[in-house]
Amino acid sequence: MRSTNVTDTSSASPRQAEDADDAMVASSGDAERDDVQNAAAPILDDSSSASADADEEEDEDEEDGDDEDDAAEGAAATGKSGKGTETLFRESEIAADYIEGLLDILDYDGDIDELVSAGRPMVEVVGGRLNALVGTRGATLEALQELARLAVFRQTGTPSRLLLDIGGYRAGRRKELGAVAKNAAEKVKEFGEPVRLEPMSAFERKCVHDVINALAGVESESEGVEPSRRIVVRPSA
Amino acid sequence: MPAQTRRADAGAARRSEKSDLLRPALEHLVKGIVDNPDDVRVRMVDSRRGARLEVRVHPEDLGTVIGRGGRTAKALRQVVGSIGGRGVRVDIMDSY
Repeated sequence: MRSTNVTDTSSASPRQAEDADDAMVASSGDAERDDVQNAAAPILDDSSSASADADEEEDEDEEDGDDEDDAAEGAAATGKSGKGTETLFRESEIAADYIEGLLDILDYDGDIDELVSAGRPMVEVVGGRLNALVGTRGATLEALQELARLAVFRQTGTPSRLLLDIGGYRAGRRKELGAVAKNAAEKVKEFGEPVRLEPMSAFERKCVHDVINALAGVESESEGVEPSRRIVVRPSA
Repeated sequence: MPAQTRRADAGAARRSEKSDLLRPALEHLVKGIVDNPDDVRVRMVDSRRGARLEVRVHPEDLGTVIGRGGRTAKALRQVVGSIGGRGVRVDIMDSY
């Protein structure tokens, strides 16, 4: 079953959505462009992949670091990508087709919503028995999102900031991480010492940064290298 | 114990049914991201060392399927592992 809708304000907190988006988009957009340019790259070239990873790390630093400035800009959501709603909707349509094809083959039941939210294409899959497609801590969801973005890229020729959610995983995770962030902030304020959180994905880190940035007296920063990259919350200077 | 045997058989049948889905699922995922979908070939190979899926694509699409630093190949493996292919290797072949 497929349903479609186009909303620019469907998200309860468009600002947060925008931030998280940026976190995921910058790196994957670049990656996709590189994939194409390096189409002739050797399969196993450790040195080149290592340097590529370093680049990506920098991208993520930027994403992570982008907080309030970005949020302010984020108000002009569509302006940022320069894509019209129709183009964005087309992107979510392509991605929905791609994901639907997989569900059909696997005989999984799921309703697929394609929408445009806060200036970016979104595909939401809702239904039972979808845990397999989310994976441990969302690893499979991230993988599918990346593949769906590539599918969009192949058909449109431009990198996509598509967001995929399955079984409400991202929404739920954002909520949990909000509690984690508030908890850490309280500890920091009480003891005046930095608190180091467990390693998280770019999406998860963005969720935490969003919450910390909205609080007075604390600030957050990412440290380390994927997949052990983690947030440190400390008293703000 | 006949009952137990039957149960084991049913389990084996379910497993093979599951892995029958892996090949078309992976084929779909790969076809959707390449420029030459008609040239995508995915084969399930059973060897003594376990099952593996061999992916062949048009040489121009090899870079896309592998991705920067192997991240697309990794994404494909992650999905295959989650949809019943745990322990099934995914090999992207560089000869078409």
